[in-house]
Amino acid sequence: MFRPTSVRRRLAFVLLAWSAAAPAARAAGQPATATLSATISPQASLTLSTASLVFPDADPDVLNKVPAAGGPVTINAKARATQGQAVVLTVLASSDLRSGLDVIPASNVTWTASGAGFVAGTLSATVPAQVATWTGSGLHSGSQQYFFRNVWTHPTGTYTTTLVYTLSAP
Amino acid sequence: MIRLAATVTCVALCVLPSVAAAQPGPRLEITVSPTSVSFPSANPDVSPVVAAAPVVVTIRIRQSSGPWSLTVLANGDLLAGASTVDITNVSWTATPAPPFQNGVLSKTVAQSMASGTGNVNPATNGSVTFRLANAWNYNAGLYTQTVTFTLSAP
Repeated sequence: MFRPTSVRRRLAFVLLAWSAAAPAARAAGQPATATLSATISPQASLTLSTASLVFPDADPDVLNKVPAAGGPVTINAKARATQGQAVVLTVLASSDLRSGLDVIPASNVTWTASGAGFVAGTLSATVPAQVATWTGSGLHSGSQQYFFRNVWTHPTGTYTTTLVYTLSAP
Repeated sequence: MIRLAATVTCVALCVLPSVAAAQPGPRLEITVSPTSVSFPSANPDVSPVVAAAPVVVTIRIRQSSGPWSLTVLANGDLLAGASTVDITNVSWTATPAPPFQNGVLSKTVAQSMASGTGNVNPATNGSVTFRLANAWNYNAGLYTQTVTFTLSAP
């Protein structure tokens, strides 16, 4: 009375039905991934509160260090650098102070500084002088108050030069 | 005695597939293309927000009824060596809305990117644009991180 053939058929049906009901894509949560990448390159931005400095005439016996009219120069520096690298702000005079053929060395111009990272210094026409230095990326602000060394030996005249500020972030 | 044994065997095997055929679980499909999302470098003063090229997220859901959701989770902050950019600086906009929605990436809580009920069949495409809040205080470097999209239905 036992019919093994019938049992085998039912078993075959069972396996087919189960296979159809369990596709590979069925799951409570199907994941997919993506990779984000961001390139952050070194960048620098520098703004000065003024584009000109004027030292008014003065009696050297009364004022031997003449401050620049208009007060301090405010500096805003923004820099992105690799972690731990120094960001440096320098200033270089394009030449000594000149009035026709008369020359006053740029070193007669000095400054005091305020703000984190800013340092006092003396202007040079040959070697960039450090104005400020920081480590890593960020926004920084400070100021420079320029002074002119006033002595009786300076020939009279209107002297000019150009200052070049350089903000570098490696 | 022999016939009885055969019947019991049949019952045990036939019940399971009959349930599976009547109440199939949800069938979920998701693809993301491209799988690489790049933010170009830019001056933060000029571009305070940097957008990547759109990503197409394709989902297909076949189920009898019930809710479904698409979430996204970052596996961490953006990393470049020892430097990090918090992943919450990455946001996205997604269309069409609904079912897609805008959001901000998180590395701790999966954020909803789309949701709905019932079937989504045929498959539907969502256009997702990731954006990075650009800032001067990021250290220079090439940052990477992976994000996981999860399409789920209970």
